Amino acid sequence: MSDAFLSIKDVNKTFGSVRAVDGVSLDIHENEFFALLGASGSGKTTLLRMLAGFEDLSGGDVVLEGASIAALPPNRRPVNLMFQSYALFPHMTVAQNIAYGLEMDRLPRAEIKTRVAEILEVIQLGHLAKRKPDQLSGGQKQRVALARALVKRPKVLLLDEPLGALDKKLRSEMQLELKRLQHEFGITFIVVTHDQEEALVMADRIAIMRDGGLLQVGTPQDIYEAPGTRFAADFIGVMNFLPVTAGDQGFVARDGSVILADRVNGTGGAIAAVRPERLVLGDRGQNTLRGTVTNTAYHGLDLLLHVTTRLSDAPVIARMTAELADTLRPEMGQEITLSWSAKDTHIFPA
Amino acid sequence: MADRNTFRLMLLILGVVFAFLYIPISVLVGLSFNEGGLPTAWTGFSTKWYGALLENDDILKAAGNTLIVAVFSTLLSTILGTLLAVGVEIRRRNGKWLETVIFAPMIIPDIVLAIALLSMFSLMGVKMGLHTIIVSHVVFNLAFVCAVVRARLKSFDWSIVEASADLGGSTLNTLRRVVIPVLMPAIIAGALLAFTLSVDEFIIAFFTAGAGRSSITLPMQIFAMIRFGVTPEINALATLVMSVSVVALALSQRLNKGGLPGQ
Repeated sequence: MSDAFLSIKDVNKTFGSVRAVDGVSLDIHENEFFALLGASGSGKTTLLRMLAGFEDLSGGDVVLEGASIAALPPNRRPVNLMFQSYALFPHMTVAQNIAYGLEMDRLPRAEIKTRVAEILEVIQLGHLAKRKPDQLSGGQKQRVALARALVKRPKVLLLDEPLGALDKKLRSEMQLELKRLQHEFGITFIVVTHDQEEALVMADRIAIMRDGGLLQVGTPQDIYEAPGTRFAADFIGVMNFLPVTAGDQGFVARDGSVILADRVNGTGGAIAAVRPERLVLGDRGQNTLRGTVTNTAYHGLDLLLHVTTRLSDAPVIARMTAELADTLRPEMGQEITLSWSAKDTHIFPA
Repeated sequence: MADRNTFRLMLLILGVVFAFLYIPISVLVGLSFNEGGLPTAWTGFSTKWYGALLENDDILKAAGNTLIVAVFSTLLSTILGTLLAVGVEIRRRNGKWLETVIFAPMIIPDIVLAIALLSMFSLMGVKMGLHTIIVSHVVFNLAFVCAVVRARLKSFDWSIVEASADLGGSTLNTLRRVVIPVLMPAIIAGALLAFTLSVDEFIIAFFTAGAGRSSITLPMQIFAMIRFGVTPEINALATLVMSVSVVALALSQRLNKGGLPGQ
């Protein structure tokens, strides 16, 4: 219990007969950037709304700094939510929007003024203080929504798909910006996202949610390098799956070759998995496969080879750095050999 | 050239419809400026009938009563109608059934409503006067205000209500600082509509005003005067009443369409 700043204890939420959140327990540390990652319908937003106070708990408890907040209404929780739709007040200016929460706390006028000016400086929107929300771009609205929640200096800031409405370039900028602000303010951030890349880039720790429950909790490296389930492996990044049967000699692939694997999850292994960037050209590892290049996808940074092989139904994807691709120039229809190590091979049950 | 002919025909029909709608009103407005005062001959432009209105104590008294009724019934029905609209929209569980009950006074014939109100006041032994007219006007105005505000609520972004609560706003603060300001154009539009309806409402006022001349309203005054024939004064008075209604209605339409930026 020592470092649990926010403790979510066996929390449940049922809507009629649907269990939206099913027995979630989670300890979140102070100043942590935590991501709840899942597809739509996984319960991540419901869990976030319970932390904000907009949904009652059907069971369990939420403890912040040793005291339960589960029964507090939203306006009495030291927690703020940045809404996915931003939910800016359309009749107020940017400055009025940001000042609103401080006015509700009945802070002195002078202090409100200073703090609004400060946060406008931080989000670099001082020149737009007198604009109304409909005169702002999507990115500016997003920053105002963030400032409005941050200015209250909550103990925990909840962010519901904070970058969902932004275009790709702005999104990657804002990922780093959010990280910077979190560091600067020293506030615990809990962000809900369906974008695995976003979670990997921003979060200190990630919880993958599925069907209302937690599938795996860990650092981005943990989750990427050591996914605990086939679903997690597939959900985060790109993964090649090769069906195998567990026998006396080990895991036997479709062509009869034995696949050596260090990372075996569960029993009765039925599928082997390896990431595209762990595959190398040529016969240089413990495991090998032969196949035909049926497609190449150039991404600038790298080149993805789609290799059709007898080992799986879907083509195996291998990632080559731009440099390697320049020297080797693999061509469509070419027969190639790929190999990889046992330490990079995962085994999952069916 | 069938298309062009069709178009001409449509224009003609449109002209006839508008003529049908507005010629009587134009005649009324025109005659109110007719110096001779006779509906049969135009003898020159004059505003003397408007001047005559100002010297008629009965009319001034009736105008004052109308203003009192319109202002108070508008005020009450706007407050209650707005709260009703917000309340119904939040708890929409009873849906259709509740909607019918709320909007019934809009559809029930005025004469039925008038008799019903008269019966109720008599049964309760209420002494009738301006206050009973006000209460009666609230009954139907409530439905109109509620309808206008509800229409606006259909496109209302409820996440701003949650945002207000999240930022520490109590229910009252959220209502006062977020919900009402955002709904304000619709609330004002509803109020203007209520005001217009109240100003020229005759039947219900006639039934619920009680005996005597003390609480007579403008439409009732016009009705009393017209028994001795259409006088040019009535034309002038009707023109004024109509102007008030048209201005209020135009404002109401404008507000309801434009609304706040960002809505």
